[in-house]
Parts: sequence; C-alpha cells; structure tokens
Amino acid sequence: MSHADNRPEAPIDELVDEESLVEEVSIDGMCGVY
Amino acid sequence: MDSIRLDATLTVHPRVSIRPEPFGALLYHFGTRQLSFLKDRVLLDAVRACDGTRTLAQALAEAAVPDAQVERYRRAVATLVHSTMLESRPANEVAA
Repeated sequence: MSHADNRPEAPIDELVDEESLVEEVSIDGMCGVY
Repeated sequence: MDSIRLDATLTVHPRVSIRPEPFGALLYHFGTRQLSFLKDRVLLDAVRACDGTRTLAQALAEAAVPDAQVERYRRAVATLVHSTMLESRPANEVAA
C-alpha cells in the first residue's frame, strides 16, 4: 500500500476554496499597458 | 501577513476607494497607488463591516462568513492589512 492510499481525500470544494480571495496590483507596474 | 487577529478592530484606510464590481470589488489606495481585487462579494461585505467599531470576528459574522471559512477570510483580510487597504485602529480613535 502506498502513502497515497492513506491520504484523506479532500473534497473538491475545499480545494477550490484555497484560491486566493484577493489579488493586488500596483498601478506603477501597469505603465505602458493599454 | 497572517498576523492579524480576529479580535483586531479594523477600518478602511481613509485614502482607499471601494468600487463594487460583478466579480466582487476593486479597492484603490490613493496613497500607495495599489489596486486590490476582491474576488468575492462576501469579502466586500466583510471589508465594509470593518468600520472601526467591530472586531474582525464580528465583521466576518456580519458578512455571514461561514465558520468553516473564517480562517480563509481572515487570511484575505490580513493581505489587505499588509497592503494598508485596511488598518488596525482602536474604536475609540474612530469615535473621537
């Protein structure tokens, strides 16, 4: 039996929930982007 | 960044503008020229509830954040504190 067989399965919802709720951008870093 | 506590009292920085968007909201800080994209309306509600009179835990409850999601939203708020979109402020300072 491999270690993977012992790993508890994470529900899909929990995996999706780990996506960040905030993304940050600096206006200065957008210079030249039109 | 993860250091913000649930008993912290937070308020939106006075130089931050909040614009609701279909995907959540856009925050612009006129002092740092930073943009923050909130990818969730619940987080927007939580940010708006951070008015200096509630703890973060109360603000998350006001926004109806499920108990199982509190840690995730606390981390998101910590990101906003780190970028000074939100700032820690005792409630009595706001009331004064």
